[in-house]
Amino acid sequence: MTNAWRAGLQRGRIELRHLLRSPKEMSGHLTNVVVALVIAAYVTGHVPGTHVPMAHLLLAGFAAYLLFQIGLVNLPQILVTEREEGTLLRLRATPGGIPAYLVAKTLLVVAVAVGTLALLLAVAALLADGPLPHGPGGWLTLLWVTTLGLLAVVPLGAAIGAVLPNPREALALIMLPTMGLLFTSGTVFPITSLPVPVQQVASVFPLKWMAQGLRSALLPDTARTAEAAGSWELPMVALVLSAWAVLGFLLAVPLLRRAARRESGSRLSARHRRAAQSGALPG
Amino acid sequence: MTPGHTPAEPVAQAQPVGPARPVVGTQPVVRARDVTMTYGDLEVLHGVDLDIHRGEIFALLGPNGAGKTTTVEILEGFRRRSAGEVSVLGADPERGDDAWRGRIGLVLQSWRDHRRWRVAELLTHFAAYYPDPRDPAELLALVGLTEQAGRQVERLSGGQRRRLDVALGIVGRPELLFLDEPTTGFDPEARHEFHVLVERLAREEGVTVLLTTHDLMEAERLADRIAMLVGGRIRACGTPTELARQAAARAEVRWTADDGTPRRERAADPSRLVWELHRDANGPIAGLEVRRPTLEDTYLHMLHRETDGTDGTHGTDGTDGTDGTDGTARAA
Ligand SMILES: Nc1ncnc2c1ncn2[C@@H]1O[C@H](COP(=O)(O)OP(=O)(O)OP(=O)(O)O)[C@@H](O)[C@H]1O
Ligand SMILES: [Mg+2]
Repeated sequence: MTNAWRAGLQRGRIELRHLLRSPKEMSGHLTNVVVALVIAAYVTGHVPGTHVPMAHLLLAGFAAYLLFQIGLVNLPQILVTEREEGTLLRLRATPGGIPAYLVAKTLLVVAVAVGTLALLLAVAALLADGPLPHGPGGWLTLLWVTTLGLLAVVPLGAAIGAVLPNPREALALIMLPTMGLLFTSGTVFPITSLPVPVQQVASVFPLKWMAQGLRSALLPDTARTAEAAGSWELPMVALVLSAWAVLGFLLAVPLLRRAARRESGSRLSARHRRAAQSGALPG
Repeated sequence: MTPGHTPAEPVAQAQPVGPARPVVGTQPVVRARDVTMTYGDLEVLHGVDLDIHRGEIFALLGPNGAGKTTTVEILEGFRRRSAGEVSVLGADPERGDDAWRGRIGLVLQSWRDHRRWRVAELLTHFAAYYPDPRDPAELLALVGLTEQAGRQVERLSGGQRRRLDVALGIVGRPELLFLDEPTTGFDPEARHEFHVLVERLAREEGVTVLLTTHDLMEAERLADRIAMLVGGRIRACGTPTELARQAAARAEVRWTADDGTPRRERAADPSRLVWELHRDANGPIAGLEVRRPTLEDTYLHMLHRETDGTDGTHGTDGTDGTDGTDGTARAA
């Protein structure tokens, strides 16, 4: 087991290095940050009924969306791709390979999440007087909402990555609902401006609660008057995110196990043959 | 038929199962009994029996779709058999733990993982999972990839990629190595070096090797024993010579007759035919040549016998008397 831990940490570091050196993937992550900053720079006015700039609400919302996307879009894509290429199979054939894989992926996801979040908030603060937590309490809230938010979406994303068919279809299947939630969860404009049924549907999913939690950490306390409940509802944030975390783990463990078990050389060959026929993969 | 030549050379009973040379006192490294595999409605294996002994190089041959990969995957523990008994290194592969995994190395038919990794980086990383790994640098030299050590895996040629797969397969010093079509895409030199490597692993380190291939020369060159998987069963198993006997594939004798015409005859016992020819000619024979049956002859012969369905079904071999084509080749 210690071998698996060591190998997993090594693996995570190497994958992170590959990510940092991959212009394509780095630009993907950076684009999100840049888009958020650009939109924030163009938004004017205040959150209705408060003195909080609209741009701050939007940046807090985007911060939540970045976490959400890393867990539910990027992670499943990585898993599906690595299933298809045979990475998962090779680790399955290696003693301690699957635990090491999970350790490495956790490391990678946490590093990317923390990195993009820090970048977004730091650049916003430096260039445009962006939102930052007020006092230790605010930082603490930022920490636990981020942690619990990742716990809510990462296992769920792993479960999705374990069942989706292939990287090309996977992206289409995931992007639509994710974008839908981006616009209905109160991330980019005040949730109270949306019809109540939409608010109710969005409040089932973790994004609304992640955004609300981050707003409570990043915006001044007076901004809570703009919330649907007139308060930050932090206990509810913790409850909903924990519930998703539990659900995600319950789904992810058997589904990942099943995905790993089902991987085999002949499935791999069959997929490669199909992919080669459709011209999607070289060779 | 040659005058005075009796074709009734005893034809070996086909032995569809079991080792030709059981090694006394040792438990087989791989043992399978009556293994069946069904994909949905399609039964791919209908009762496969195998015994592979320590230090042996064992080749599994068969046409596309015969079930070679399926068989190997069942033994590797990647696939749940529908029925039958399997023991690999003393354990049921379906319940193999990490320690068991660590004793097995494998090279699969097709994978393209870790494209972004560098060659040496990947090998060094996979060495970290094993208690007593090979030295990555030495291993790279062994498979001829030293020059490519710093290259990204996706920039390797097909054959280089395959050699890296082989290196990854043996980095943990496995006792048992599964190679599913390992030399596909190798150039002749790489193939030769690969053969030397596999022989060295088996002869010097006592590694047991199960290899599938479509390259009959490779099987003949490397394998101590060969099994033919046709129609979901092991139809023949043994050394190349034993297989030829089981298949009733006959050696070819060529010579030049007195009138200068080339002659050709197939004989189960070429020595006897040559002796008869000498006796008839009462002297040397021009252009005498004896070609023993190649594995290809044996393979095709067996395959045709299977697919024609006229003979040899369920591994019970008839006499070669039913096969009228061979003896008539004489006047070619
Ligand atoms: N996962 C699967 N689901 C359904 N059928 C399968 C599956 N894997 C293999 N088969 C079928 O089982 C049969 C045996 O396949 P297998 O891959 O074992 O053959 P093979 O002997 O390795 O062939 P090749 O020489 O082409 O590698 C084929 O008919 C194949 O289509
Ligand atoms: Mg195969």
